Amino acid sequence: MPYVLEKRLPGPEEIEYKRMIRKGLEGGSYKPLTPEDISKINETVLRTIEEIGCVVNSDTALAALEKAGATVDKEKRRARLSTEKALELISQAPSEVTLCSRDQKNDIHLGGSRVYTGTGGTALYIYEPATGVKRQATLDDLKNIAGLVEELDNIHLFLLPTYPNELPLEQVDVNRFFAGLDNTTKHIMGGVYTTEGIRQVVRMAELVAGSPEALRERPIISIITCVISPFIIDAKYGDMVVAVAESGIPLVCPAEPLCGATSPVTLAGNLVVQTVDSLMGVMLAQAVNPGTPVIFGSVATSTDLRDYKYIAGSVEMGLLNAAGAQMAQFYKLPFYATGGMTDSKTLDAQSGYESAITNLLCALSGANFIHDSAGLMEFAMTACYEKYVIDNEILGMVMRAVEGIRVDDETLAYDLIKEVGPGGNFVTAKHTRRLMRKEHYQPTLSDRNSRENWEERGGKSTWENAAEKVKIILESRASVLPDTVRERVLSQLKGISV
Amino acid sequence: MSEDIIELIKENVIQGRVNKDDEGIEVGVAGQPGVTELTEAALASGVKVSEIINEGLTASMEVVGQKFENEEYYIPDMLASAEAVGAAMELLKPHLAKSGVKPKGKILIATVKGDLHDIGKNIVSILLRGAGYLVKDLGHDVDTRDIVAAVREEQPDFLGLSALLTSTMVNMEDTIKALKENGLRDKVKIIIGGAPVSPEYAKSIGADGYGADGFHAVAVTEALSSDNSADG
Repeated sequence: MPYVLEKRLPGPEEIEYKRMIRKGLEGGSYKPLTPEDISKINETVLRTIEEIGCVVNSDTALAALEKAGATVDKEKRRARLSTEKALELISQAPSEVTLCSRDQKNDIHLGGSRVYTGTGGTALYIYEPATGVKRQATLDDLKNIAGLVEELDNIHLFLLPTYPNELPLEQVDVNRFFAGLDNTTKHIMGGVYTTEGIRQVVRMAELVAGSPEALRERPIISIITCVISPFIIDAKYGDMVVAVAESGIPLVCPAEPLCGATSPVTLAGNLVVQTVDSLMGVMLAQAVNPGTPVIFGSVATSTDLRDYKYIAGSVEMGLLNAAGAQMAQFYKLPFYATGGMTDSKTLDAQSGYESAITNLLCALSGANFIHDSAGLMEFAMTACYEKYVIDNEILGMVMRAVEGIRVDDETLAYDLIKEVGPGGNFVTAKHTRRLMRKEHYQPTLSDRNSRENWEERGGKSTWENAAEKVKIILESRASVLPDTVRERVLSQLKGISV
Repeated sequence: MSEDIIELIKENVIQGRVNKDDEGIEVGVAGQPGVTELTEAALASGVKVSEIINEGLTASMEVVGQKFENEEYYIPDMLASAEAVGAAMELLKPHLAKSGVKPKGKILIATVKGDLHDIGKNIVSILLRGAGYLVKDLGHDVDTRDIVAAVREEQPDFLGLSALLTSTMVNMEDTIKALKENGLRDKVKIIIGGAPVSPEYAKSIGADGYGADGFHAVAVTEALSSDNSADG
């Protein structure tokens, strides 16, 4: 036989035609703020920190800030920082933070204008579109959603999205993080409810990582705290920032100013409050433990001016978080943005357009990590399994938009155009086959059937198709922890419900 | 040995690799022999023609069809595989008679007069070749008289007619009438296709079949072939 093959081609079953998974691509083509705007916001932010400062209700936080050089009025518990001091503390924070996954395939390198997505929380309810029922979320929901996220390629990080209503407070933290670690290998980020919970959760992550050192080397979890707008470091959350910073685990310090309620009604005024508040968290973390990986964050949004409800799907939320990304890039801090939610009560057109517009604005601005980007509806109070699948599709399209248009000799294809010539076609060109899957986003959910074919297949709506995918994924959901590790965690940490 | 090479032919058809320069769908396979080289090698080493066709080419096109059904493959993938089979069939053509393999049938195909659209017709041609038919493509904007002349000369088993425009699809009916007038209508099975065409229209103008798309066209041809099997 004249041919000897070096390697056999893969057999039919082994051939994979993997869809491109887009993550960590450079955004930044959308810039709602000009350089002059950024400069003016920065001046106002630094002036606010120096002249107005922040009330610090946590003793440990206040002591840490004072030690780091803040001017403290003990009676009023007010801490102010000179511009020089503030910039010094901000510059101590790393510009790049890596949030590790357990299998290393889904590591997230925050910084610059690279874009990643993840879930968000913390929702109290679950909406079931098949019955139209909204019910309280349980621990099982958290496990199921972790299992969904494990399989949804365009969601890069698992942020613990729901609250297990049936559990006593002291068991919540340990159960939430275990539900995440046990069901997905993607990085787990989450809020905590008790300072003791931080200790337990870090211990759990150390066991899963293999050792305390291994966890610091490759942090597979990160913890979210918050600053209360305007300008309050809460007693409990202040203690938590200190505890997380001391633990060396990556920390997120978002602020959530609401236009016309806890910030000026203007978007620029809101940006000042959000930037000051989140920077206070960043500076506190650096005061406690210089070099702590800390993520500057925004949950800024509008309010419903008829009743002051929090709004999760406004276009202004998209603008504020896109601008927040620009401010983060200005301070060279990794950024945690908020987008992708809806205020709709069902999976309808509003649910789709609000989620898409806010995700798209954040992503195009180069927001490093878009949290809440999947699954949340109804003022972020409710999660919905099917919406994770729908948003996974939105995020795939959004990330394709971030990727932009590649222009080079290969994509311009002059030689091919010449070869095909007038009246020809590109259907059988090798170039088509080589690039078709890369150049064009391949839908995972959208229906592109003709009306006849769509009707033949049951004439299903988007959420019904999403429900089928949910069913398939959840049928095969299984623990992703090795048995020995799982047993070690369960024996060393009390109160975990399996 | 023969099993190995048949397996390689099969894999390369699935990859859509006509020859060694083709990239296929996997990264890093360019440079390795494609279906053309492998078919030549198989013939040289005495593998039976029927084995190459049935176990190498036909079986792999079934896999490709399934992948298309599963939405894993797109039309360009399907066409690449069909082209690979078509190339192999060209090589096997001279060996068919002496190996006792009966050819599947000869097909003439054309886009009718006045119509310049030929993407659909070209796709159907490639897929029919991929299914093992001998296809002669008469091109587009083909005059009715030229079609009649070609049918007389080539004596095909099938005639495929395509049109994209409602204004040109009437030329399909004219073509069938012209074949009747020349006493050729009963010598050939006629299958029509194109965006404005429907099964009802096919029936009304006296065609034998209607193909909704490329794959359907192949299926219809296969069905009409087996109807035809008695008279060979």
